[in-house]
Amino acid sequence: MANVLSKTTRTLVSALFGAAVLLGAASAQASDINVSNARLSLLPGDTPGAGYFELENAGDEAVMLTGADTEAFEAVEMHESSEHEGMAHMHSVENVEIEAGDTFSFAPRGHHLMFMERVAPLAVGDSVEVTLEFDGETLPVTFEVVSPTSL
Amino acid sequence: MQKVVWPLMAVALLAGCSDEEFRTTDIEEIMPPLAFSLTNDDGEPARAEEYLGKTTLVYFGYTQCPDVCPLTLARFASIFDELDDEERDDVQMLLISVDPNRDTPEVLKRYTDAFGPEFTGLTGDKEEIDALTNRYRIAYSFEEPNERGDYIVNHSSAVFAFNDEGQPRFLVRDPHSNQDVLADLRRVIDEG
Repeated sequence: MANVLSKTTRTLVSALFGAAVLLGAASAQASDINVSNARLSLLPGDTPGAGYFELENAGDEAVMLTGADTEAFEAVEMHESSEHEGMAHMHSVENVEIEAGDTFSFAPRGHHLMFMERVAPLAVGDSVEVTLEFDGETLPVTFEVVSPTSL
Repeated sequence: MQKVVWPLMAVALLAGCSDEEFRTTDIEEIMPPLAFSLTNDDGEPARAEEYLGKTTLVYFGYTQCPDVCPLTLARFASIFDELDDEERDDVQMLLISVDPNRDTPEVLKRYTDAFGPEFTGLTGDKEEIDALTNRYRIAYSFEEPNERGDYIVNHSSAVFAFNDEGQPRFLVRDPHSNQDVLADLRRVIDEG
């Protein structure tokens, strides 16, 4: 009987411990991600803007950026520009994995956020609140609105 | 030391006297003169002859392009900032849209105005644009639209430079430095 109990207890403890580890890992995620130099390159009219930033994963585990959202634009997509044999290409990106300790740049002529159809007028110097999405977790980031000529 | 320097200077002087090479890519022998029949960003017919008289940079892109196109135009805006007023009056950059369905003259005008007075947008129907892309041997292609109806256009990343008579001079690609582009641009402006 004692044996059975202790086995149950052990199972329970390890299950709880496992859950705690999972919770711990999950809650540690967003706080371990540092975003810097977040800029939104603004273009006139209804032409789309581009978002650039540096993302540092200071945690112990890889994180997966899965998307972004903002109330300032109708839609946000992750894209990557590339050049091949004199042709400029662009394609949409589903997610970006950043290994523990790594920094990943969304930078001109590479990965960028594409902001489509602004909801209200914006001007250079404004701030735009953007939510970065990591596998179910979110991280609010303030983007500064800049001119493409400043990049 | 002097023994090394003198021969180098002699080579530099010889190169300077005759046919100095462009630091970017020379297209004098391989591209035809500037010629087109398009629509300007006021919606009026536009022919290449009307754009002679200035050093002309030509880029093929589209306005629904958030990254490479504005960066390319912004790069040239910053290069134009290095020119003095007189040089600046002698240069213009044409953005020729390969996406005429979305890039109406009005959209193009608002877009190019954001980069400065040297920038002009041109568009046309598909045949007019294809005549030009074929002439300069460049390609463009459309990706499938997404659920919102947005689509990506793949296009040439090169910028072509013509002198004030519309003769082809040099071609700029992304890896060319701004200093090299500026030096070549000044050389072509000085021709005029």
